[in-house]
Amino acid sequence: MNTPDHDTYREWLHLEADGELSPAQHTRLEAHLATCADCRRQLQEYRALDGLIARGSLPVREDFKSGVMASLPVVGWEARHPRTWRFPAAVFALFAGLAAALVSFGSEGPAPSGLSALFAVAGLLRAAVQAGAGLLAASWKGLGMAFGDVMSSPLSLGTAAFLVLCLNLLLISLIRRRKPAASEAAVPANRKGGNGKNAG
Amino acid sequence: MNRGAEQPADEDLVAAILAGDAERFGDLVDRYQGRLVNYLFRLLRNADDAHDLAQEVLVKVYQALDRYDPQYRFSTWLFRVAQNAAIDQIRRRRLKLVSLRQEVDEGEERDWDLPSPDRGPYGEMRNRERGDAIQQAIDALPWEYRELILLRHFGELPYEEIARLKQMPLGTVKNKLFRGRQMLKDKLQDFLSD
Repeated sequence: MNTPDHDTYREWLHLEADGELSPAQHTRLEAHLATCADCRRQLQEYRALDGLIARGSLPVREDFKSGVMASLPVVGWEARHPRTWRFPAAVFALFAGLAAALVSFGSEGPAPSGLSALFAVAGLLRAAVQAGAGLLAASWKGLGMAFGDVMSSPLSLGTAAFLVLCLNLLLISLIRRRKPAASEAAVPANRKGGNGKNAG
Repeated sequence: MNRGAEQPADEDLVAAILAGDAERFGDLVDRYQGRLVNYLFRLLRNADDAHDLAQEVLVKVYQALDRYDPQYRFSTWLFRVAQNAAIDQIRRRRLKLVSLRQEVDEGEERDWDLPSPDRGPYGEMRNRERGDAIQQAIDALPWEYRELILLRHFGELPYEEIARLKQMPLGTVKNKLFRGRQMLKDKLQDFLSD
């Protein structure tokens, strides 16, 4: 590598102040600084400038973080995340296991193998789905009538809307499941209120 | 469990948040609040606006966290959002970039008073002069230098991240920062020996 000229060293000084020089460049600059009083003074000035700017930093308000955390909204990716489905999946697995156990231990005759128990559970599920489908078909008319009743009266319509809203809020709160500390945290930064800028 | 020994990377924190540990977002807030507020403060020149916008930026980032691409640094993304938000706000509010001195002369409240490291009346006065001088020197920089100086000195971003954020070659960033810093140094020469 050629020996850098003085202008290059001058440009390196500010990279040195920012810690952006490569180790090889740093070593070369050190050697140059040992012999160049002008560059030493320049580097000192760059560092003094950085110190001056650092002393002019604005302290962050003490309630800033709590304000941010309290302002975090419910977001789409939270609802899409698998953790949202962890609880229903666990319940399903529990019932499936329970059913398998009942079939295994409740049947007469020779104990069925694990595989036949699974087939039995699948058969039960299929039967349940068929029964459900039949029930739905049979009650479709009844559902239509009930829907018509709800729509016919403002009071029942309002009650139904209220129930749907409550269920949605419940679902949202279950999805978020925030720790109380975050929601109880300080009120979001009140900009004009206490004129509490520059806290600290 | 020795959690405090090594700070998790930003990208690991984002992964933890997306995996359901939303409280870890507080760690990211801790990590960036100072830099973000100061960066916005120097752009907007108002402490309240800087805090409010920093909060908005963090909330916006949280909302879009699932769209974060981990091949880029989190800080690059954060400061890009912050810069866009600040520019929008400056446009929206038609913030007039009048000089600091003029605002003081008009008797408006000075909300950029910074804590004084110097005690006593002379120290307070000197600190105020220094704060004014820094802001004036920054405001006097051409925008192309100023935005890089703010990202470097207040956002504390390394050169490579600034280059990526501004979509500039690294050499251009180095050159502009060199020139910008030289201008700042010349303007603040009287305070460098403080």
